[in-house]
Amino acid sequence: MKKSLDEKKKTARTAYFFISPFFILYAVFGLFPMLFSFYLAFFKWNGLSDMTFVGMENFNFIFSDPIFYEAIKNTFIIGLLGTAPQIIVGILLAFALNSTLIRFRNVFRTMIFLPYVTSIVAVAIIFGVIFSNQEAGFINYILSYFGIDSINWNIQNWPVKITISIMVFWRWVGYNTIIFLAGMQSIPNALYEAAKIDGATVWQQIRLITIPMLKPTITFVVFTATIGALQLFTEPLVFLGRNLRQEGITMVAYLWKDAFVFNAFGTASAAAIVLFFIIIIITGINILLTNRIDQTKKAR
Amino acid sequence: MSKLFKVFLVGLLSVLLMTACGSDDTSTEDTSTDDSTTEDTSADTGDDKEAVTLTFWEFGNTGYDVLIEEYMEANSHVTIELQNMDMNDLHDNLFTSLSAGSGAPDVAMVEVNQLERYRDAEDRFHNLMDFGAADVEGNFLDWVWRTGENADGSFMFGLPTDIGPTVMYYRTDVFEEAGFDPSPEAVGELIQTWDDFERVAQEIYAETGKIMTDGAELVFNARRDQAPEHFFNTEDELIVEEHDHIRNAYDYTVSLIEQDLIGNIQLWTPEWFAGMDEGTYATLLGPAWMQGVIKDNAEAGVWSITTLPEGAGNWGGSYLTVPAESDYPEEAYAFIEWMTAPEQQLKSFLDYGLFPSAPAVYEDPEFLDYSDEFFGGIKTAQVFSEAAEAVIPVYKGKGYYTVNDALQEAISNVNAGADPDEQWNQALEQAESALARQ
Repeated sequence: MKKSLDEKKKTARTAYFFISPFFILYAVFGLFPMLFSFYLAFFKWNGLSDMTFVGMENFNFIFSDPIFYEAIKNTFIIGLLGTAPQIIVGILLAFALNSTLIRFRNVFRTMIFLPYVTSIVAVAIIFGVIFSNQEAGFINYILSYFGIDSINWNIQNWPVKITISIMVFWRWVGYNTIIFLAGMQSIPNALYEAAKIDGATVWQQIRLITIPMLKPTITFVVFTATIGALQLFTEPLVFLGRNLRQEGITMVAYLWKDAFVFNAFGTASAAAIVLFFIIIIITGINILLTNRIDQTKKAR
Repeated sequence: MSKLFKVFLVGLLSVLLMTACGSDDTSTEDTSTDDSTTEDTSADTGDDKEAVTLTFWEFGNTGYDVLIEEYMEANSHVTIELQNMDMNDLHDNLFTSLSAGSGAPDVAMVEVNQLERYRDAEDRFHNLMDFGAADVEGNFLDWVWRTGENADGSFMFGLPTDIGPTVMYYRTDVFEEAGFDPSPEAVGELIQTWDDFERVAQEIYAETGKIMTDGAELVFNARRDQAPEHFFNTEDELIVEEHDHIRNAYDYTVSLIEQDLIGNIQLWTPEWFAGMDEGTYATLLGPAWMQGVIKDNAEAGVWSITTLPEGAGNWGGSYLTVPAESDYPEEAYAFIEWMTAPEQQLKSFLDYGLFPSAPAVYEDPEFLDYSDEFFGGIKTAQVFSEAAEAVIPVYKGKGYYTVNDALQEAISNVNAGADPDEQWNQALEQAESALARQ
């Protein structure tokens, strides 16, 4: 009896040993920085000086800063503009790639996925050229044919948001398409065949078979896309530069600017904590909604 | 189990040991060669000097690798490991290392603007005054030296390498088209003040339909850099509204924007490079190192150089610092003193176009005769040295770029149609809010 317990303990210890590298690395590079930023949020620190305790002052700073609210607003607007179309277009593209009508499917699959692996710096340069403020800039030139005055793409409020959303869309739509495609391939072909025999159109097939069967995949994509949208950072940075104008600053960009442009690590940490709670709330809502979807399924 | 753990520990330790030894067992060559152009200031070590390895972080295209070879030949006990990085990466890495207290090199090249970030951190650098930096003060231009010091001059962060005195690059063809004599002397004569600049801009616009300069940023910078006071006083208090200089620079820039005399082309964008070649804008108010950028993007003979109206400014240049972590500060200092000596600065200028911070070089015949066919065969070095000597020393303060970025953003908003006064107030509010956090 006693021996087998020892044996069990031993096995457990070996198991812990084998999984320890992840936890050690996570503790050093993940957990510690997180806890430290909770601590830092109550201090004033520029990275090189001594830390001074300031209580809630950092939170006062960010809550009285109009740009902070701008950042929250931008994050949601760009999140919505950048990800909602992705899901619709992603499903349609995946359906097209999944259908037998298209030849060279692998070529198209690769091409659609390519933006995801493209260097973000190269993307920024290309988008900078396309959405140039100059009258001779690509988009402005096209708009001039419709009698629209040239737009300052990286200065004006909505153009900045739209451009960043397009960058996000362009970069992530292929990734989500591939995930949708994987989901679709697990839908039994018999369903489509039966529908065809009953005379269903392509649109009816999408609406009545593909989308209902894709529900778990859609939930997954909405989940990851929401988190991605809340953490959006690279696109605004490369498009707007280190100064991160308030028209396009996102929450993560806001705290990054505080920390690495202003060297204000205290307020940056305070902003990170606020972001942390916002993400918790959104994830909570997400989980609630998916649970409800699951429950209605079971009830049926 | 415990055996497995021991194996793991031994493995880990041996890896650590190997990396630790890696830096020690390098270069124990003969120490016989002694005929050098340099004097070793580390006097306390005798003839058989201890072998020393210095790490040196640099950015950009400096050609320092060649100079380092030369130094190591003359000082065989010193090995220098050069690591070239991207400029922003270097300063971010250095900031992190200094903040963490480990990982900094023995010698770090710090760009003049970035130096402001480290102002608070005197304790993270060796004070070069302790190694006799005061003896070489006379080698350098006064304002360059002042920038490397702390506010009361008791602490020296780094020795200056190159500088970026600003001049006016201009398109000879555009000036000719507008009916002006395009020679450097004539253009210098024509545009002596900022009012002249505005008047010529109006005439060029009327004659050719071309804009005077690329955008608002460099006009504001040029006027700002001619002011005796900028954003902060030496107590680091924001004084932008206590004097008119910055507001004047802002208003002048805004007035050119409102008359459509300057463009809306951002630096380093494809349009900006293309405009350089096509002559979209008539002038470019840039530093000495901008020569290379123009040469890469435009054909020879169309650009020329003259002085800026009402003085000059400085944009760029670097300092060689010795972080406090360095175990060999004396050797490191000896090395940077040699690197920044006039002889080496002349070599860097002739080979890589780095403009010297040592005025002794400006008298060197090789330097004085240096002319450039690309810019119509004028003696470019003379124009720049004139500009270098016209720069006014000014205290910048650690919050300099926080304020400057806010004002630049305001100007670009005005360029896009916003109200100038509103933008000015908003910029200062934002800057104050950011400064209070640091």
